[in-house]
Amino acid sequence: MSQLVFDPSKVMDIDYTKRTEYLDQLEALRAGMRTVKEVPFQPSLPDKGYTNRTLYVNVGSLEVTEKPVTQQMKDVFIGGRGFGLYHLWNAVKPTTRWNDPENEIVISPGPVAGMTQYAGTGKSLVVSLSPQTDIPIDSNVGGFYGPLLKFSGFDALELQGKAEKDIILFIDGVKGLIRVEEVAGGPEDSHVLAELLTHLYAEGEKDLPNVSVVSTGAAAAHSLIGMLNFSFYDRRRKCVRFKQAGRGGIGTVFRDKRIRALVVRGPKVAGDLNHPVDPETIAKTGIKYHKEIRENDGGQCMMRRNGTAHIVEIMDAYDLLPVHNFQYGSHPEVHKIDSSYWQQRCTQHTVDGCWYGCSMACAKGADGLVLKTGPYKGDMVTVDGPEYENAAGLGSNCGVFDPDYLLELNFYCDTYGICTITYGTLTAFVMECYQRGILNKERTGGLEMTWGNAEADLEMMHRMARGEGFGKIAGLGVKKMKEYFIQQGWGDPQLINDIGMENKGLEYSQYMSKESLAQQGGYALTNKGPQHDEAWLIFMDMVNKQIPTFEDKAEALYYFPLFRTWFGLNGFCKLPWNDVVPANNSEQPEAHKVPEHVQNYVDLFSATTGVKIDKEDLIMQSARVYNFQRVFNIRMGKGLRLHDAAPYRSLGPVTKEEYESRAERYDQQIITEMGLDPAGKSTEEKMAMHRKWRTDRFSKLMDSVYTRRGWTLDGVPTLARLQELGLDAFPEVVDVVKQHL
Amino acid sequence: MKQLVIDFQKCDAGRNCNHECEMECAVKVFKVDDPAQAALQIKAYEDGGGKAVLCDQCGDCIVVCPSEALKRNKLGVVMIDKQLCVGCYMCIGFCEKDAFMRNPDWIVPHKCTSCGVCVKVCPHGALSIQDVPEPAVRII
Amino acid sequence: MILVNEEPLNWHAGMTVRDILRVRNYRFPMLVIHVNDVLVAKADYDTTTVPDGAVVKVIHLISGG
Repeated sequence: MSQLVFDPSKVMDIDYTKRTEYLDQLEALRAGMRTVKEVPFQPSLPDKGYTNRTLYVNVGSLEVTEKPVTQQMKDVFIGGRGFGLYHLWNAVKPTTRWNDPENEIVISPGPVAGMTQYAGTGKSLVVSLSPQTDIPIDSNVGGFYGPLLKFSGFDALELQGKAEKDIILFIDGVKGLIRVEEVAGGPEDSHVLAELLTHLYAEGEKDLPNVSVVSTGAAAAHSLIGMLNFSFYDRRRKCVRFKQAGRGGIGTVFRDKRIRALVVRGPKVAGDLNHPVDPETIAKTGIKYHKEIRENDGGQCMMRRNGTAHIVEIMDAYDLLPVHNFQYGSHPEVHKIDSSYWQQRCTQHTVDGCWYGCSMACAKGADGLVLKTGPYKGDMVTVDGPEYENAAGLGSNCGVFDPDYLLELNFYCDTYGICTITYGTLTAFVMECYQRGILNKERTGGLEMTWGNAEADLEMMHRMARGEGFGKIAGLGVKKMKEYFIQQGWGDPQLINDIGMENKGLEYSQYMSKESLAQQGGYALTNKGPQHDEAWLIFMDMVNKQIPTFEDKAEALYYFPLFRTWFGLNGFCKLPWNDVVPANNSEQPEAHKVPEHVQNYVDLFSATTGVKIDKEDLIMQSARVYNFQRVFNIRMGKGLRLHDAAPYRSLGPVTKEEYESRAERYDQQIITEMGLDPAGKSTEEKMAMHRKWRTDRFSKLMDSVYTRRGWTLDGVPTLARLQELGLDAFPEVVDVVKQHL
Repeated sequence: MKQLVIDFQKCDAGRNCNHECEMECAVKVFKVDDPAQAALQIKAYEDGGGKAVLCDQCGDCIVVCPSEALKRNKLGVVMIDKQLCVGCYMCIGFCEKDAFMRNPDWIVPHKCTSCGVCVKVCPHGALSIQDVPEPAVRII
Repeated sequence: MILVNEEPLNWHAGMTVRDILRVRNYRFPMLVIHVNDVLVAKADYDTTTVPDGAVVKVIHLISGG
């Protein structure tokens, strides 16, 4: 075991204030803009975390309305993802699809969001019907838009309808006006567009940090995997940076509505704008946490130095890093893209939080990257990250171990408006299909999608952004690519289905779940699809052996998804919960839950809203929204057991090479777990034994988890569970469930 | 840079004085009658001697401040701009000397700015403002 | 022979907690380690020796994004 030590003398000497500027395009952009609607409103600050109203904008009809936030909304849905799901439920019908005008994009920051004293408190939750899954997607994103929206006067923004021409929605929370502007021409890609709009709407240089832009890029319009960039102005770099609402294609919905950008200009931020009931508790809790980071982070995860990329080498060491489309768990070249490299490459002597007061400061930035390809070839840019997911998804999973290419892939994903996790997983799938002859040069339009071919990878992305050829096919995502390849007769359907890492239509994020049954459930038995933000149980299950029985795993798959849902109800980030722990955490019962931090969250919520809760209430708050979302999925024709099915690559070895790479482990499991004898059996026979055992136990896991969650074996919340949660107060919710009981 | 320095050869940690330094700071600088709000705090050890909690202008807080509210002035003293401060208290949490203070009635934190009002009132002449080299910026 | 996270590991005289982490390649920085139900502080990994037959739990906490 070697704890990485930070050596400041090794940090590359890169001027973090230097980059290509695009402000010379400002006049042209301004000339193409025309105001089509302007309405005044009364700006207001929150009281106890809530402004008590939301804003509805129909970008088609240009209707602009304020709606009150009811006590029931606060009691049942809390805010953030809860408000998003509530508004979306009321906006759509079971037949609504992502590109129908009634589909909405709802952005809501949550009652605690905008607090400046604790780490990870600037989050917005974005909810919409996903083009990839046809069910609600929710995405938790940093940047300043959510807090500034709330400090302008709104707990949520609902966007409905479709515009005929591109529009920009500007909310001025200082002057009190809402303006819709048509825009002709001008840039689409985020790094140019957001820079221009930040300068266009800020009133002078000092105002730049009070403006935030939500935008996407060219690829969002030509793919189903579009993402939204939420900006924040970096005062020291003097540039606009982004955090991403990545998963599920919300950027695609955004462009389908012909929204070019959302801009908010908020008041100057101060420490008390939420008007919490108990600022003293918030101050003390925040200072205690900042001290904990100062004292412990350097000897624990080094989030301030590496961000989440610190686990690249950890996942590699534990055979959990996805390599070559989740076939293998480690690779000899990983040292080229691990955190010992990134902490030299990322700028270290500046502030890296995506909202004020984030002492964890994981938003690392790599400055001075000169692009080698694409429309911005030759430009010098700042790239955020790479975070773990980017290094693993764009890197090891596709066999790309050149850090500059990895940064360039990361940059273009961001500015083109596509999700890096999704892009990484779908490209890994394309590359494996290429290697196995399902694809070839002719079928990809000349792209040689061999492992590690970053130039072909980038070219595929540029084609995606232009809506051309195979780039457009790849932009459909893994699920629709699988269907297309099978329909074209390009390969064995079972193999294609086995290796395409998606569930519910969403691509897997970047962890190997093959050897952890609990994590197989953590990915597949989710509301929105396989994203690790519900539960990450691999260490507990596979390494620690803490949850050996089905009941243990089911308990973990009850608690953690609910606990982690709560961050999204309130505008919190997950990372400060467990990427640092108090010095005495190891002495606590249930150390893996980080009990002191759970208590911090309970205290911060109570001190903001005045609603006194304890840690059990916290779980109940989440359970209401989590079960509401499950019912929402069922209402949309999904959300049942069959929709939780997992691709076999996530459960076990699909191919001979995979089996043989871990033959000792797999042979041993035949003896100890199945009580059979592998001797004299061919690899194919042993693979078949594994497949049966692994799919059977996944099915048993489903039974255990559904039962623990209060659902039927078909995955439907029971009436008793709905009553327990008070969701029976919504007749429509009960009606949906009744049809399945 | 100007730094407030305390000489514990002369300071007796309040055993034979009335913490005049703290009171003067609280009243003159912060306009409060409470020495607990002063930007320097003299603590006596039980077994003799004592320590002072005060800012040595090291500048770590400048590095962590997200809103650029902390900057050195011409004298090298770290000053807080109340207009820019967002009240995040990272300066407090990251100060290894616990020299950044917080009054529950104010949102903006405060600390010693080497102004020297305390120097004049110390009955033992233990305090002085000295010109010392500015330390290199640290990666925090 | 000792048991580390339910799996056997060869024991040798003078074996420390650090040795176990090295052999098992447990590189993760946030661990909670118990030897025969007694918590071992991080500062003591190098100096704490493990007796033969010990039951060792190396609980990895969770992190990452």
